[in-house]
Amino acid sequence: MAQVLVVDDSSTVRNEVCDFLKANGLTVSAAVDGRDGLDKLKADPGIKLVVSDVNMPNMDGLTMAEKIRGEQRNASVNIIMLTTENSPAMKERGKAAGVKGWIVKPFNGPAVVGSLKKLVG
Amino acid sequence: MNIRHRIILLVVLSLTAMLSIGGYAVLQSRWNASEVRIVTEGIVPSALASADLVAHLKDVQLTTMELVSAPDAKLALQTEDKLKTDKAALKAAIEQQASQATSDTQRGLVVQAKESLDNYFAAIDDATRFKLSNQKEMAEAALFGAVGEYQREIQSVVETLRIEKNRSKDGAITALNNSLAQTVTGISAAALTALAILAAVGGMLYRQVVRPIGRMQSMMTEIASSQDFSRRLPVEREDEIGRSIVAFNTMLAKIEESSAQLRQKTADIQTMLQNMPQGILTIADGNRVHPEYSVFLESIFETQAIAGRDMMELVFSGTNLGSDLLSQIEAVGGACIGEDAMNFEFNAHLLPGEIEKTLADGRVKILDLNWSPITDADGNTVRLLLCVRDVTELRKLAAEANEQKRELEIIGEILAVSQEKFHEFIAGALKFVDENEALIRQRDELQTGTIDRLFRNMHTIKGNARTYGLLHLTNLVHEAEQTYEALRRPRPDIAWDQEQLLGELNGVRAEVERYARINEVSLGRKGPGRRGGVERYLMVDREQIQHTLQRLETVNTGNMRELVAARDEVHRVLRLLGTESISHVLSGIFDSLPSLARELGKVAPMVTIDDNGYVVRSQAGSLLKNVFMHLIRNAVDHGLETVDERMAAGKPLAGLISLDANVRDGQFQLALRDDGRGLALARIRRIAVNKGLIGEDAQLDDVTTARLIFQAGFSTASHVTEVSGRGVGMDAVLDFVKREHGRIEIMFLDDAEGADFRQFQIVVCLPDSFAVRVDIGPDARDADLPVAEKALQAAV
Repeated sequence: MAQVLVVDDSSTVRNEVCDFLKANGLTVSAAVDGRDGLDKLKADPGIKLVVSDVNMPNMDGLTMAEKIRGEQRNASVNIIMLTTENSPAMKERGKAAGVKGWIVKPFNGPAVVGSLKKLVG
Repeated sequence: MNIRHRIILLVVLSLTAMLSIGGYAVLQSRWNASEVRIVTEGIVPSALASADLVAHLKDVQLTTMELVSAPDAKLALQTEDKLKTDKAALKAAIEQQASQATSDTQRGLVVQAKESLDNYFAAIDDATRFKLSNQKEMAEAALFGAVGEYQREIQSVVETLRIEKNRSKDGAITALNNSLAQTVTGISAAALTALAILAAVGGMLYRQVVRPIGRMQSMMTEIASSQDFSRRLPVEREDEIGRSIVAFNTMLAKIEESSAQLRQKTADIQTMLQNMPQGILTIADGNRVHPEYSVFLESIFETQAIAGRDMMELVFSGTNLGSDLLSQIEAVGGACIGEDAMNFEFNAHLLPGEIEKTLADGRVKILDLNWSPITDADGNTVRLLLCVRDVTELRKLAAEANEQKRELEIIGEILAVSQEKFHEFIAGALKFVDENEALIRQRDELQTGTIDRLFRNMHTIKGNARTYGLLHLTNLVHEAEQTYEALRRPRPDIAWDQEQLLGELNGVRAEVERYARINEVSLGRKGPGRRGGVERYLMVDREQIQHTLQRLETVNTGNMRELVAARDEVHRVLRLLGTESISHVLSGIFDSLPSLARELGKVAPMVTIDDNGYVVRSQAGSLLKNVFMHLIRNAVDHGLETVDERMAAGKPLAGLISLDANVRDGQFQLALRDDGRGLALARIRRIAVNKGLIGEDAQLDDVTTARLIFQAGFSTASHVTEVSGRGVGMDAVLDFVKREHGRIEIMFLDDAEGADFRQFQIVVCLPDSFAVRVDIGPDARDADLPVAEKALQAAV
């Protein structure tokens, strides 16, 4: 059982985010792309927050967000996107998929941990 | 009457009208029905029966004739029975008419008919009897005689009755028709009247209800569209509409009040935006700058093109931020605006708090940026608020204050070292630096012997500096030494870089020279300090230095005013190091004046000094003392008159000597004057002639004459007194001044060209580097000079 699912194809970012969240008392599981993320989410009903990269192979973060939103059982799962740029079209798509927040990279743990913890419940 | 009452009235009236019309119609119908019954059941059958009467009469007449003309008795008898029947029918018909007679005429006619009938029947009985008795001729005679006569009589009566009955029937029908017509007319009239009343009441309602409502509605619409909430609807009635208008007016008043408050608030905000010395802007979707921003922003960014600009371009173009940081900032705008406020928390750390922005003309401004989200009721960030502060000046001041702090610390370090030792240290350090420079310049690659020398030299400087506690220098020298140390290692991880080494060495040299300069300029400790026997140096109050350092350390570097005050205070302290006030320098001379005056039989003069806020460098103290000792004593000796002379001239017994010091045209000018008899020009001229300085007939103007006193060996004193004329004349005074690149001027103050005595002043002009202005800085006017002086106890 994990509280947070971190989805990023870059192992550096993934490990950094995971390690930081773990150090702050959150249980974390990780996925390497959108498809992997969906599988992990399905397997673990304890996940309350998905922190995901946007650009990833196999399935990108926004598509994954849309698929997560499409399942009733995922209604209480919050989604945060890690991003480097921000276009209106992307935001629009994210909003439709119920993306709660955008964290511009580089990921700075101390600045965001408070808000992330609130999203976990 | 209110609208509800009006509507109730209208309904009641309508009901009343309908009921009235209905009731009237019912009554009329019933009356008409009875009339119709009378006509159909009485009058018309009676009229028909009167016609039957004629037929019955004819039947009787025919039967009678049949009986009379019957061929035999038997037939006659049979006919007689029939006759009896017909007679009875006729009689019954007449009786019926009697009962149905409706007028006197009819009743008279029926009586007449009855009488005729009796006679008729009697004549028929006669004729019948004759016939039955076979008196046929008699019977026939009776038939044509009496019977016929009575028959005609009765026939005429019956005919008249029939006519009368018909006439009566026609009359009744006509009356009935009239009555029906009258009913229709009545109902129509009543209906029309009711309609008219209802129309009137409806019209009244329309006028009093619908029209005012319409008017109210149009005025409300007009006010709503014009937004002129100062208008009010006229209240002309007390009904529901009136009360609605009152309520509407109350609402308008409230709206007017609210909108006035809103206007005031908007105006307040506008005023703030117009006048606040702060750059404030908000950033909307797409990182666009919102049109409402503080005007001060225009002076920060030095442009008026702000509204609608791209924040990235307006704020961040030409800044010291790399493209990656810029793209992050740009993305943060997108991630926050229009999103949950939480996103600001996520990303705010990426927004820079301070930037260096290079303007079009190359000037660099340091801008302090403060970001905050503006959220709506749903907790979404609608815009980002950015406060921009131009802290260029503040940072400059902070740097200045820092520099001053350094200087003060260095002063403290230097003061702890004796002047001689310090001089030796500086000379030695500069020698080692020169040697190192020569060594570095000679080599363009690393050599063990050279690097060892370099290291040793620098190590020596460091050791000495550390010994004397010159910490600022030690730190810098240590860095250079570390570089050499790194190059000395068996496998150095840095390369021999001549330029870099020279740069580093120059840094050390600059710092050593800086120490030397502070020692010489600020502390006035030029040279080794033993020359001339009496060492002149400053004693700087350590407490004052500590206090000043503390002032710098605790100053709030974010507060411009405080920073400026601290800087000015420290600046003043630094400026005043190595200075003395003029009155202090000359105090020994002033103290000696009373005894001098006594010797000369004069009253001690008053002395006023106006230093105009200037003090003098300590180095100048000795010069000023030498010069003014002579000039002031001259003034007392030659200028000021004796008590008797002054009394005779009506002057105060005590003479007045005034000294005015100021910097003009890049010169430090000290003007000395007295209120004595003035410059004895005639006497100067005579002495000059006697001494062969000028010819007997030389034509000199007053200024040239006056300047004769500066000629070597010139002395105006009539005898060698204890006071002046001790061989140090004005020529020597001028010489002192000239040695310091100065000059002395004599300036006449009156217009008495050619007179024996002229009022004058002597102006000693020295380079302005001799003077230091005390009151520098905004708070300098309040500066307490004695306190500042206390910091600098000059040991003479």
